[in-house]
Amino acid sequence: MAENDYAPKFAPFFGMAGICFAMTFGCIGAAYGTAKSGIGIAGVGTFRPDLIMKSLIPVVMSGIIAVYSLVIAVLIASDIGPPPNQHYSLFKYGNITRRVRPDANYCNSGFMHLACGLSVGLTGLAAGYAIGIVGDMGVRSYMLQSRIFVGMVLILIFGEVLGLYGLIVALILNTKSRG
Amino acid sequence: MASRRIVSSEKSILEKDDTDFKPKDGEKSDIGPAVPAHVIYKLLGFTAAMVMGPIGSYFITLNLLFGGNSTYAGALAAIVANVVLMGYVIVAFREDQSEAIEAAEKEKKGK
Repeated sequence: MAENDYAPKFAPFFGMAGICFAMTFGCIGAAYGTAKSGIGIAGVGTFRPDLIMKSLIPVVMSGIIAVYSLVIAVLIASDIGPPPNQHYSLFKYGNITRRVRPDANYCNSGFMHLACGLSVGLTGLAAGYAIGIVGDMGVRSYMLQSRIFVGMVLILIFGEVLGLYGLIVALILNTKSRG
Repeated sequence: MASRRIVSSEKSILEKDDTDFKPKDGEKSDIGPAVPAHVIYKLLGFTAAMVMGPIGSYFITLNLLFGGNSTYAGALAAIVANVVLMGYVIVAFREDQSEAIEAAEKEKKGK
């Protein structure tokens, strides 16, 4: 593996950091959403056990945040390989390098994978935070006023969509990093 | 249900014998679990679907359906996760409705 400006030896570090950021930040968000809305469910369940099934919706949504992070982490991890078959660069290589060394597979890029992981991880953190707070107060209010349910689910979906946007951006970045 | 006080004239649990615990004639003792079985199965099913659905569909379709294009497989995994969520919302909605209908019917019969 030729050491050069575009593919230094530390380039895979950024891809690995992307995997780590995706999983850790996404799971922090999912854990906060699960725990905070779980507090609300425990509060509701002691008074109205029949509402527990409906109140579990924020917990399921928090689980989906973790699934988004997991998908991106698996995608990045499947793109990183050792040198004989793959060369890992910081940025994508242009066509010039391909012409010089057609056998080299320079299409994976560390910074793009880092951006992938950060975008899905931090939006997951934001979405999990929103789901946690809305889930906690939403199920408590639902115990007193049943008509709030549709509104609560809509707010939860809009909070959830924040994580989905991060996933979409991460998928696009991951596709681009392969060239 | 409000908490019940122990009345001193009542026998304590140690003083009771088997005949006191016998159900009345024509009445079966209630040994059903607090949470009905179908709810447990539903929750178990959704848990399994949530754990295995997205990641399983990713690895199954990666080479079989999309020919190694992991972006489409990843998008499909996200879609499967959302389908599970939609299914859960619908089931939870119908669950509570059916319980309300049952309660209303019981009330009618009581009258």
